[in-house]
Amino acid sequence: MSNKQHTYDAIVIGSGISGGWAAKEFTEKGLKTLVLERGRDVKHLIDYPTTNKYPYEFEHRGELTLAIRKENPVVSKCYAFREDAMHFFVKDKEHPYVQEKPFDWIRGYQVGGKSLLWARQTQRWSDLDFEGPLRDDFAVDWPIRYKDLAAWYTYVEQFAGISGNKDGLPQLPDGDFLPAFPLNAVEDYFKKTVSEKYEGRHVISARCAHLSQPRQVHFDQGRGKCQNRNLCQRGCPFGGYFSSNASTLPWAAKTGNLTLKPFSVVESIIYDEKLGKASGVRVVDANTKEVTEYFAKVIFVNAAAINTNLILLNSTSSRFPDGLGNDSGVLGKYVAFHNYSARISAEYEGLKEFTTDGRNPSDGGYIPRFRNLLKQETDFKRGYAAGFSAYRAPERDMSGIGTDLKEQLLHKNLGPWQVGSHMMGETIPKESNYVKLDKDKKDEWGIPLLRISIDYDENDAKMKKDYLEQLTGMFTEAGFKNIKANDAGQAPGLDIHEMGGARMGHDPKTSVLNKWNQLHDCKNVFVTDGACMTSTSTQNPSLTYMALTARAVDYAVRSMKKGEL
Amino acid sequence: MNRRLAIKQVLIFAGGLALLPSCLRNEGKVSIQLQHLDISAAQEKLLAEIAELIIPKTNTSGAKDLGLHLFVLKMLDDCYDKAEQEQFINGLKAFEGLEGAELKQLLTEANANKAGLAKEISQFFSIMKSRTIGGYLNSKYVMSNLVIWELVPGRYNGYFPVKTA
Ligand SMILES: Cc1cc2nc3c(=O)[nH]c(=O)nc-3n(C[C@H](O)[C@H](O)[C@H](O)COP(=O)(O)OP(=O)(O)OC[C@H]3O[C@@H](n4cnc5c(N)ncnc54)[C@H](O)[C@@H]3O)c2cc1C
Ligand code: SF4
Repeated sequence: MSNKQHTYDAIVIGSGISGGWAAKEFTEKGLKTLVLERGRDVKHLIDYPTTNKYPYEFEHRGELTLAIRKENPVVSKCYAFREDAMHFFVKDKEHPYVQEKPFDWIRGYQVGGKSLLWARQTQRWSDLDFEGPLRDDFAVDWPIRYKDLAAWYTYVEQFAGISGNKDGLPQLPDGDFLPAFPLNAVEDYFKKTVSEKYEGRHVISARCAHLSQPRQVHFDQGRGKCQNRNLCQRGCPFGGYFSSNASTLPWAAKTGNLTLKPFSVVESIIYDEKLGKASGVRVVDANTKEVTEYFAKVIFVNAAAINTNLILLNSTSSRFPDGLGNDSGVLGKYVAFHNYSARISAEYEGLKEFTTDGRNPSDGGYIPRFRNLLKQETDFKRGYAAGFSAYRAPERDMSGIGTDLKEQLLHKNLGPWQVGSHMMGETIPKESNYVKLDKDKKDEWGIPLLRISIDYDENDAKMKKDYLEQLTGMFTEAGFKNIKANDAGQAPGLDIHEMGGARMGHDPKTSVLNKWNQLHDCKNVFVTDGACMTSTSTQNPSLTYMALTARAVDYAVRSMKKGEL
Repeated sequence: MNRRLAIKQVLIFAGGLALLPSCLRNEGKVSIQLQHLDISAAQEKLLAEIAELIIPKTNTSGAKDLGLHLFVLKMLDDCYDKAEQEQFINGLKAFEGLEGAELKQLLTEANANKAGLAKEISQFFSIMKSRTIGGYLNSKYVMSNLVIWELVPGRYNGYFPVKTA
């Protein structure tokens, strides 16, 4: 085939949350867009094999077999890797990597990426986050502020559909929300207790990407109201939650400008020395291993943070011997994540006149960051957000056997409320937390294996201690009993919020991307997934990737029109 | 991401009944296909009796009606390691030859974790009991008739009033 047939206006690498947005924005603006996805196609509704199964229709009732657990020590640790959604996760053996330090790398390689699997928690950043590195001197300054992103947050929220309340908090700006999922009796009670006893601490309804009350733009996507199934990781037959598969990709396809190629592993980005910019990408067919090149004026890298680093590091040329856009030498470094390694549970004997009925897909409550918010006040930097939820389960005495036991099993008497929280801590990006290419080992597609060297530090340990102390205190104030603080001790990675490696910054000497998510040194390549993050703050990151992506596409298309790219 | 408390799921996922009855029922062989376990037809029958003693038929279905012992075997075969499987079989042997009141007696003792009882017996019993219970609560029968599980609730009420007895 001639190059002409392989030439597009824009190429997007990866079809997950961020790539899906790039595809939607480019195609809507009339650009012929090629989306390259290394995994198989997953068509909304059609390719959700387990979506309507009852628990008893699973051979092991959801549980993993020993063989699967043994073969997959890493991905088995993810709470959502179970019999019903296993098929949307990368299995350990399929895509090995080198752990210089323990790192649980959880991946979804298919059309839609991890957007099928995510827990759909969505919060905006505020200037308390964007100004963090400068104020607390722990990373380079973000080249953007909230005002640069605010309108783009609104833009992506309106399309994706985000449920939440306008809580009026400076650390968690309000968005354009669909109605929130309500807190339940005990979540509300805890909210009240916390606001009465702690100045500046709040418990709010978790904000999430569910259509609690769809608008026309959601019906136009073919999506409907969330039906509270809480089986989202299987793919939703109602399109009730946001995934690329249900939302951005079909929307992009409708424009007629989208070419989506599954089974296309991007090996590298091709740099044209004469033009002084990237000309296209080199793709290995996942099945046949055949190599093909595709060309475009602009390239968006959206392979998910760590894989985006891999592609850039592997894109070498005489101009960029250490990876595309890596004049600074920081590419692959300053990787950070969220510290999810502690949780706490307890019981509450009150409010027994209530329970819950139906299911709440939002996960209950959310406690925005309250530590070091306006100024430094603890012996660690930054802070944590936390989840908070409460529920009741039947109280079943299982000590007997025979008819006694049987009666107990069907007993509908409820036990006390169970409450729980988990921490979501900010971590500090450091040069010593990095990913790099292995010099010898390659994968099946001829791409170097990635070596991952990421670890916690003292700041994380102090912050975790504080989380457990503070939440224990808050639980005690609320009269919760049987409080169990639990240091899960899990390796980084399981938070599935890896960020950085190609961070944004003002200065090409210390950062990889500029304020438009454009490589400082190769202007027609953009990175708008987690790799671009200068710092992590505490919010769940994906909403910010969506907003950054839409903004960067807008800028790229304007630049192209001016003949600048 | 945010994790719904896993505990909630435990009961939902523990067990049920969607096992295909094998058409190739050889004499002396167990009636479902097992990969690792070597179970005789007599042992299978004994397991069925034990399961029935744990969850008997009353005015609602019991373990035999729901084939819960087959679910236990399926789980034992696929989800436990060799050592646990061997312990299970060894423990089961202590029950072989027992019937009626005798069988019930030993089972009651195992359930009470009676002092002096062989370790294998309690190891066997703990898997047997928990998996029988899991299989029961997650059976189509229970989930459709007794403790209804809804695929599509379509609602959430955080202040659902509890009837006090
Ligand atoms: C269980 C779970 C719960 C989560 N909960 C939340 C949450 O509540 N809130 C939140 O904000 N985030 C959550 N996340 C994280 C969220 O899923 C990610 O932040 C988000 O999907 C990242 O989007 P992305 O586009 O960067 O990557 P992805 O969605 O992972 O998509 C990347 C795509 O690129 C493809 N790809 C990779 N390498 C190549 C290559 N070389 N060539 C071609 N294609 C390639 C992959 O196959 C994949 O399809 C969760 C994740 C998981 C797994
Ligand atoms: S909770 Fe809502 S989004 Fe999730 S599977 Fe259900 S209906 Fe779909």
